Amino acid sequence: MEEGKRNSAHGVFAHLERLEAEAREIAVKEEKMKQEEEKQARLKARVRELSLQRDMLLAKVRLQKKLREKRAMSDPAKSSARAVLEWKIKNIKGMLQISYLTGISGKQTKQGVCFCISTAYESTYLDSYYVHLLVKPEVQIYQHSVPTFIPLEEIAKKYLQTDIGRFLSVLSDHLNAYAGRKYQADQLQEHFSDQIEGTVQRNSLCNLLVFNYKVSSKSKTFPFNVRLLYGDLCCSLPTEVNVSCTPDAPASLAEMAAAHSDLFRRVALHKAFRSFSSAEESVDGAP
Amino acid sequence: MDETVAEYIRRTVLKIPRDEIKTMLEKWGLLSETQLQTINFRQIKESISQDVVQLCEENSVDIKQAAVLDIIYNHVYPNKRVWCVYQMKKTGEEAEFFDLTDFKKKFKGRLRSALKNVTINFREYEDNAIWIRIAWGTPYTKPNQYKPSYVVYHSQTPYVFISASVLKSNLPLLCQALVLASNYHDIREMELRSHSLNSLKDIVFKRYSQNFQTHYPRPLQERNVAPKSDLRIIQENRNEKERIERVNREVFGDGPQPKLEFAQYKLETMFKSDPQMDVLDKKEPFRCLVKFSSPHLLESLKSLAPAGMADAPISPLLTCIPQKARNYFKIREKKHFFPESFVSP
Repeated sequence: MEEGKRNSAHGVFAHLERLEAEAREIAVKEEKMKQEEEKQARLKARVRELSLQRDMLLAKVRLQKKLREKRAMSDPAKSSARAVLEWKIKNIKGMLQISYLTGISGKQTKQGVCFCISTAYESTYLDSYYVHLLVKPEVQIYQHSVPTFIPLEEIAKKYLQTDIGRFLSVLSDHLNAYAGRKYQADQLQEHFSDQIEGTVQRNSLCNLLVFNYKVSSKSKTFPFNVRLLYGDLCCSLPTEVNVSCTPDAPASLAEMAAAHSDLFRRVALHKAFRSFSSAEESVDGAP
Repeated sequence: MDETVAEYIRRTVLKIPRDEIKTMLEKWGLLSETQLQTINFRQIKESISQDVVQLCEENSVDIKQAAVLDIIYNHVYPNKRVWCVYQMKKTGEEAEFFDLTDFKKKFKGRLRSALKNVTINFREYEDNAIWIRIAWGTPYTKPNQYKPSYVVYHSQTPYVFISASVLKSNLPLLCQALVLASNYHDIREMELRSHSLNSLKDIVFKRYSQNFQTHYPRPLQERNVAPKSDLRIIQENRNEKERIERVNREVFGDGPQPKLEFAQYKLETMFKSDPQMDVLDKKEPFRCLVKFSSPHLLESLKSLAPAGMADAPISPLLTCIPQKARNYFKIREKKHFFPESFVSP
């Protein structure tokens, strides 16, 4: 504005020119925007048109499918036979799905059969292991998820060629026993760690456990050392138990050691420990 | 305390990242609580290590105790070493009772009878792993504590994981001692090597996720939930994409893959060319070495087909790596009529 005032005649016209130019630019921009909006509206309308068309076609296809099905179902004999067949298939599928609850289940595959061995210990489900067998040219193990310390090759050498059922049942015994021993040892370390001194020495198969635990009698605690040897790999109870106490312990403790030794041989490890704590409570509670 | 022991402790502490030093010293258990509290763990590592050496002087730590700190460090950071897998064989059925004290005695006895100057340390861990550290010397020199060999052994398994030091000449003696101590008859090196010790364990102990077909749908299996894509976008190749995903899942399984860094294929096959061109006048096998390397080889192989870079199913030579438990292969000319070329055992 100042510039315009300085050069009066040229300034005003120049200013006017400038304003005109600006107005022209704005008009052009507005024109462009209007055009774009129109284009968008046109495309949206086209999209709506096309989707309406697609919906109509889809509806037609669906209708045709229904008609075809109705025609197929209109034959009463055919429909009931078909219904029975469908019910049978559903039943068998359900059975196959539940069969894993038996502990050993299998599924036919392209290459052979894939067996699943599920392990459990006293109403707790534990891990599942798989063995994939090839059937031709001869029965062999293709793939498996059995841990390396389970003697799979030995069991296979003995039974795989002659009796697959026996192979599976022996393998299942080994796996279930291992799962049971591992479960007992884990439960012991989880729930009774306050009664255990030091660490529990175990091995991969969980068939040799050595640890020290405290026994309290007449409000004094004595350490016991126990060595559990599970000689039978298909069994989850130990075959050999050695419970020993320190040589200077009173005689009543030796009796207790013998009682404990017997208990470990008969009862699961964590259950035995649970009975200790409840026995102690009852002893302390007695007047 | 010997100067060499002090220097060794100082250098071992320097290796540990500063935030971990306190926990590792606590695990080591050679310095008491009060002693540990006198160390300022915020100063630079040089000063921390000096303080530690000072306190060890007070406790008169010897080299065997100092070596335990090295084991602890390597147990937390096993991926800094390269591990090889060895498999032991036994010929008869023997009792499965593994006695740890017996094992240690036999191992130490065998090594010491051949070589007087060795430092041997054992450390057992919760997952039934026995870590053995051996520092080797010669009949005339003391053991070199800076180049120890490490052995990890899980009882009642035929597999041993060895991270040999540069001194490879002691390997036969080490293998002999292992075989004797664990009541096996023979040991051979498997063609399986990696930095990641846990992945090697996963492969040989079959702990990685393999895909087995069952009728019972696993409840924890996460079905692939397709991301909520725009409904206006239609995928043309949906069938092909799903086929590739399915084939990939069948081969690789659902879970994470073991971590390997490379796979090496030594080819000794004949060069197949147009008989008229006759490039080589001598009919000799064309020797060639193909090496795949990656920070995580198996995951990258798993993502090749979905990314569109390879056809599904991927060549069985690549996918058989975890199942055959090897990542070094020798491929020779096929002599029989088999669809795949002969892979040496």
